[in-house]
Amino acid sequence: MTIRADVTVLGAGVNGMSTAYELCKRGRSVVLVDKVVMGAGASGSCDDMILLQSKKPGILLEMAFRSLELFRDLEKELPCDIEFDTRGGTILIETPEELAVMEDFVASQNRHGLAVEIVDARRIRELHPHVTDRVIASTYSARDSQVNPMLLMKGFFLGATAKGLTFLRRSRPESLSPRNGRWEIKLSTGETLETGSVVNAAGAWANEICGLLGLEFPIAPRKGQVLVTEQLPPLGATNVWSAQYIVSKLRPAGVPAPGAAPWMSGPEEARKAADFGLGFAFTGTHSGNYLIGSTRENAGFDKTTVPEALGLLARQVIHYFPVMKDVHFIRTFAGLRPSTPDGMPVIGEVPGFPGFFMAAGHEGDGIALSPITGRVTADLVEGRKPEFSLESFRPERFLEGQGDLDEAASG
Amino acid sequence: MDREENYICRCEEVTEEEIRAAIRGGARSVQEIKRWTRSGMGICQGRTCRRLVERILAEELGLSPGEAEPSSFRPPVRPVSLDSMDGSKE
Repeated sequence: MTIRADVTVLGAGVNGMSTAYELCKRGRSVVLVDKVVMGAGASGSCDDMILLQSKKPGILLEMAFRSLELFRDLEKELPCDIEFDTRGGTILIETPEELAVMEDFVASQNRHGLAVEIVDARRIRELHPHVTDRVIASTYSARDSQVNPMLLMKGFFLGATAKGLTFLRRSRPESLSPRNGRWEIKLSTGETLETGSVVNAAGAWANEICGLLGLEFPIAPRKGQVLVTEQLPPLGATNVWSAQYIVSKLRPAGVPAPGAAPWMSGPEEARKAADFGLGFAFTGTHSGNYLIGSTRENAGFDKTTVPEALGLLARQVIHYFPVMKDVHFIRTFAGLRPSTPDGMPVIGEVPGFPGFFMAAGHEGDGIALSPITGRVTADLVEGRKPEFSLESFRPERFLEGQGDLDEAASG
Repeated sequence: MDREENYICRCEEVTEEEIRAAIRGGARSVQEIKRWTRSGMGICQGRTCRRLVERILAEELGLSPGEAEPSSFRPPVRPVSLDSMDGSKE
C-alpha cells in the first residue's frame, strides 16, 4: 500500500509528535512512524522538569523562554490536561566554593533576562523544610516549570489525530529514496510512503535513519537512571537540583570532576559517581511520586538500571533530604538522552538531501524545547523563515568530510 | 458489571471504562494505556491489573489474548526502602 502525504515524521517522541502536531495544525498531511510506540525512547523515560536555570545563557535559554510561552498555549489548546505547572526551582549550595561559582552563573543568567536570585539558608528552609542543615544557600527561580511528558505526547497525538494524522507503530524505514523531488520510504511493515519531506526526529536512534542515506551524526545515547518513589505528600515548594548537578552538566571537557561529596565513603566512591556522571535532580509529580535522578553515562543503548548507581542516587537523596530514608521506591528506569558533542541539537535541512530535515539531539532538553522545536521544524519544512536563527543547530557542522553530499544525493 | 465502577487498577483507581476509552482514543499498546491512564503505575506496579489490561486491549483490538503484546516489567519487584540501598550499612 502506498500512502501519499506532505510530510513523514520519523520518531514518535515528544519532538517528532510536536512537529507532527504543528504541521497538522497548519493543514499539512502527516504520517508519523515509530519503530516501537509513542514515547518509547527518552521522552517516556525522563522527568517532568522544564528547567530554565540549567540552560546555558544563549540560544537554548531563549528557546526555552519561548517554549514556556508556548506551553501555556498548549495547555489550553491540546485536547487533554498536560499537568503544566510553574512551581519554581532551587539549586542547593553546600560550600562557599559552590556559592562563588553559582553567584557568577546567576549573574550571567540575570544579564540574559532570566530572573534568578540566591536565597539564604533561612529562606531555603522556608521553601524546603526537610532540607539538610548542610545547605548554606540556594538559587531560586520562580519560572522553572514542569509538564507531564506522557500527557504532553498524548495531547500532541490526540490534537494531531483530530486534524488527520496517520500514525504507524512498530514500523521502521528500510529505505529512503529521493524520487522526482519527493521522498519514497519503504517501511518494514510493507507500506510505502511518498511524501514531499522527511523529518528525522528519532532522538538517540536518529543515526539508524541517517545510515540509510550513508550519513552519520555524532548523536549518541547518554543514559540517565531514575528512581520513582511511592506517593508522598508534598515535601517542599519547588523542584530541586544540586549545584554539583549543574557543574556536572555545564563542565567543559577537560575540567576535572568535583571531589568526594560529604556523603560519599571516599575517593573510590567519588570516582564511581564521576564515572556514572552522577548529579542530583529531585522533582515531585502531580500524582505524588517523586523522581530521583540522575546519571549521565555513555553506555551505548543499554537501558538497564544498575544497583550500584541506584544506591548512589538513594544515598544522595537521603543526604539532601534525610526524611527520605523512610521512603520506598517502587520503580526504576533508565532513559537514553540523544547527546551531541557541542550540547546543541541538530535542526535543519541536510545539505545534498533536499526535503530531508533533522530535528534530534536535544539531550536532556527534549521535553522543555519540544514546543519550539515543533514550530521551527514545521517552518523549515514549509520553507518559511523560523522565528529563531538556527545557525547553531545546522546539520552541516557535523558533516564535514562525509564525502560529496550532492553526489550522494543524486546517486 | 458497570464498566465505570469496575476498577481494573486498584492502586491508581482506573476503571475499565477509562481503559477502554484510552484504546478508543488511539492507545494501542499496554505501554501507551499505562501512560495515558496511570494503570499499573501505582504501588503494586501492575501486579493486579497487568493481565486485565492486556485482556481488554486484546478484546478491543479483536486479537486473541496471546497476540497482545505483553506488559513491560521494571525493577524492583516490590517497594524497597531508600535506606536499604546503602551498601555501607551491611
